[in-house]
Amino acid sequence: MTLLTLGANAPVPAGDLSVLIRHGSLSGAEIDVSAFLVTSAEKVRSDADMCFYGQPSVADGAVTLAGSGNGETRFAVAPSRIPAGVEKVIFTATIHENRATFGQLADIGVDVSGVQGQIPCAGMTETALILAELYLRNGAWKVRIVGQGFNGGLPALATHLGVEIADPAPAPASPPASTAPTPAPNTVNLSKVSLTKQNNAVNLKKDDGRFGKVRINLNWNQKTKKKGFFSRGSSGIDLDVGAFIETHDGKRDVVQALGNAFGDFSRPPYVKLLGDDRTGAVSDGEWLEINGDKWSEIKRVLVYAFIYEGVPNWQETDGVIRILVPGQPEIEVRMNEFGDRRAMCAVARLENDGGQVRVTREVTFHTGQRDMDEAYGWGFRWSAGRK
Amino acid sequence: MAISLNKGGNVSLSKSEPGLKKIMIGLGWDARSTDGADFDLDASAFMLGANGKVPNDNAFIFYNNLTSADGSVEHTGDNLTGSGDGDDEAIKVNLDGVPADVHAVAITVTIHDAEARRQNFGQVKNAFIRIVNDETGTEIARYDLTEDYSTETAMIFGEIYRHNNEWKFRAVGQGYAGGLAAMCAQYGINVA
Repeated sequence: MTLLTLGANAPVPAGDLSVLIRHGSLSGAEIDVSAFLVTSAEKVRSDADMCFYGQPSVADGAVTLAGSGNGETRFAVAPSRIPAGVEKVIFTATIHENRATFGQLADIGVDVSGVQGQIPCAGMTETALILAELYLRNGAWKVRIVGQGFNGGLPALATHLGVEIADPAPAPASPPASTAPTPAPNTVNLSKVSLTKQNNAVNLKKDDGRFGKVRINLNWNQKTKKKGFFSRGSSGIDLDVGAFIETHDGKRDVVQALGNAFGDFSRPPYVKLLGDDRTGAVSDGEWLEINGDKWSEIKRVLVYAFIYEGVPNWQETDGVIRILVPGQPEIEVRMNEFGDRRAMCAVARLENDGGQVRVTREVTFHTGQRDMDEAYGWGFRWSAGRK
Repeated sequence: MAISLNKGGNVSLSKSEPGLKKIMIGLGWDARSTDGADFDLDASAFMLGANGKVPNDNAFIFYNNLTSADGSVEHTGDNLTGSGDGDDEAIKVNLDGVPADVHAVAITVTIHDAEARRQNFGQVKNAFIRIVNDETGTEIARYDLTEDYSTETAMIFGEIYRHNNEWKFRAVGQGYAGGLAAMCAQYGINVA
């Protein structure tokens, strides 16, 4: 297998493609990988053609951000469903808030369904990079390794690709109300909202009261270095994501893998758990989806994570919950700053606040569902279960 | 109608373009829109004798020597960035004016400072080289450098040569390491 170098191109296999970007990680700086669907002029047709953490599925699912974590980001691309007029899908990496340059990485790997390329990063001063492009050539799709970018980061890149960016979010010290994103028409807000102790709530506004698919991701790392006998995929830590849901008619539900209560997306409780990652080895962790178009019927949701197996110590899990609302900044809640040994963590509350989604960070620890239920006043009846 | 060339393919210019008197070799690419060193591509021509070498330095037409002594081969000027539409550099050849002792004119394209700038054709957007009937504008042949010579930094585009009283074009399409200096060595020029 030849490794494509900078500038090199190769055909990709026919059919659906999986794109894996191996970028590793930088301490103190976050790397975001995005995909842009562009015309022959290398511009997006509209901001809806930008596939990123705030908009993980574009063009009716032709390109989806399939997950990220452990220094990797994956996309699924269905070339047959890419709309006419889109001639390229450009994959980019940006460093959040330009806190580092790509020169601090050794290299970035690109893998398009087995066609592999590598971008050496030594000496790079860029903070936004075009990694690779899938492009139409004589009716067939090919991939080219690009490795060129901008020192000016995401704004420069976005301008290059014809995306308008809303003003960056105010500094985290500002009161929560002012960090609530209100993107201007035809602009994409690229700020990422991190809910911390100081900045613990955000209100997501949507004019029509429909929020599309609200996706909640739980991801974590297996810490193998301190416990040498734990090998990935065997007896490591198993984290589960779950939710309490209350609809306006007063009905309450639990969605979680334990007890096989996976929920339902199109019917009450309008919340569905996708699969169950038992080891953390699935690089994008576990997903919970809320039907945001039915938000008017939902009164409140409590999102929680619990340690199903392994040593109950949250610091060891490096757990992160991300809440993704289409067209809104990603909300991130980290649990790794806590060493609490209680297995149950109430992560965030999503409440229907006059039709808007009000997200409040919790990160409180409990011995189990029952204990957490009591703390938040839900009033379920509990019995032991096993998955 | 452009002819799609394979390496080593021959095109009889007098047959494909009867009455052809003037040809233009066009080199085009897009200016760099990302940050970093500009892409500076250079088209050059070597007027070769029967031995495949240039008789003197003046028979090497490039950015520092734009016109041959006889005036039959003319470079329209150096473009350092690729800015502008269409052909960014052009070499015009008046076939009737090419002296009888010139058996062939070799055309090359190189990236200036490719090694220091760590560049290749694949990193340049929309880079191409083509040969055109300069009187009608008809494109006779074209190579897409970005796509088909992506990992090269220099190539011999082809040779215009005399054969049985007609001019032919042989598409060489051979990548070449070492840039313009290596090309000069190949064609008998000592580079200072």
